[in-house]
Amino acid sequence: MKEKQKESKRRPPFLSTLNAPCIELSGNRELLIEGSKGVLEYSTDSVRINTGGMLVNVSGRELNLRCISDSALIIDGFIMSLSFTV
Amino acid sequence: MLLDLLRMVRGSVEFSVSGKYPERFINITSRHRVRLWNVHRSDSRFTACMYRSDYRRIRPLARGAGVRLQVISKNGMPTMLFRYRERVGILIGACAFILSIFVMSLFIWSIDITGLETVSRSQMNDVLREHGLYIGAFKPSLDVRKLSRDVMIERHEIGWMAVNMTGSYASVEIKEEAVPPEVEDVYSPCNVKAKSDGVIVRIEAAEGETVVMEGSGVIEGQLIVSGIRTDEQGTHRLVHADARVMARTTRQASFSMSEQMKLLRPNGEDAERQMLEFLGLRLPYRVNAVDSPSAVSNTDTEVPAPLGITLPIGVVTDHVNALSEEEMILDDNSAEELLQQEARLYEAFALQNCTIESREYRLKHNDGVYTLYATYTCVEDIALSEPIGTDENTDLTPYVAPTEKKDL
Repeated sequence: MKEKQKESKRRPPFLSTLNAPCIELSGNRELLIEGSKGVLEYSTDSVRINTGGMLVNVSGRELNLRCISDSALIIDGFIMSLSFTV
Repeated sequence: MLLDLLRMVRGSVEFSVSGKYPERFINITSRHRVRLWNVHRSDSRFTACMYRSDYRRIRPLARGAGVRLQVISKNGMPTMLFRYRERVGILIGACAFILSIFVMSLFIWSIDITGLETVSRSQMNDVLREHGLYIGAFKPSLDVRKLSRDVMIERHEIGWMAVNMTGSYASVEIKEEAVPPEVEDVYSPCNVKAKSDGVIVRIEAAEGETVVMEGSGVIEGQLIVSGIRTDEQGTHRLVHADARVMARTTRQASFSMSEQMKLLRPNGEDAERQMLEFLGLRLPYRVNAVDSPSAVSNTDTEVPAPLGITLPIGVVTDHVNALSEEEMILDDNSAEELLQQEARLYEAFALQNCTIESREYRLKHNDGVYTLYATYTCVEDIALSEPIGTDENTDLTPYVAPTEKKDL
């Protein structure tokens, strides 16, 4: 019983992950972000996306927004780095 | 693939966005649930695509975002329809095409019959036609199960039949009835007699008592192998006499022909007729005729079958060659040659089970008629089985050959 309680304490609470974006990276060629709140900056070298709780910075070469909907977007191109600003 | 099809059906607009904050425009459009795709940045502006229906309602939003929109191209079906809105012919043509495809799919275009062995294809085509399956038949009115059942009942030689419809193509699969082999009667008592006159060359008796010697002459109906056997105790036993009796026989035949002959020969005049065949109907479009009462025609049918699909349309070409009648009088040599040809046909068909040892022809010319008399010396099997009656009147006295009588 005690071990089970310890395990449940180690896990992050489920509700806290609801506001976080879901990011899926396919190699360094494609990035899918679900839960975006808007594009703050877009150029062929970098894209900055607001996800509510944090900013996602994608930098690389020949970056394109392949598809944008109200809550998700797909970036393709050569992704060199991915950083988060909380 | 599916997405591309959807975009083509709904129609899309490729446009460029220029202004101070193009990102703002992206955010406003996404907030209004407008989908953008293929967003490319180039210098101070970017290009993107969206549905044609969405483009109408984002123009005021673009004004609010402080950007300028410029249409690069419009694609998809609505654009195409708008472009050709005044060309009614294209619309009518497209509708007629779709309608014709729909109507044509209601008829049988081609029929393929497989599995025929003894029944001829034309015979089977006629039977199927009688039951409503033919090129050009109205498909919804066909009951293929009933058709298969009726054909199987009508034609006993067809053991199993199935009609499979694939679109407008009917595939008829047939399995013919297996004919049971004839069971040879080897138990009922019988004699072997001579079928015709001849001189016995060889007797191969499998069962029964041989009563005629090799080399002796026999007449038609004479007993050769007896079915009554007598053992050492003098008891008679009836057996099924079986033998192969090879005898030298003489056959005669005569062939006649008049010395005046009428021949039909092509005179070089020909004509070609062409017809368009559509669902079994023939519409002539090129009509020519030859100026002769006698003619021979040869018909070719060309049916296009792109990608293995037989189309219901074809061109039937009828080549007609005119014949003229010529009268000629035969001399002895040509008459003999023609009559010998007839004799050779007779040998091939009537004497096919005989080995012809020698043949002799004799030509006679009487009252304008040539007659060829042919005499053949053959070696053939003259055995003829004749059953022995087994009722109370049957005479079971064994046959005694004349030679045996002499010995006694």
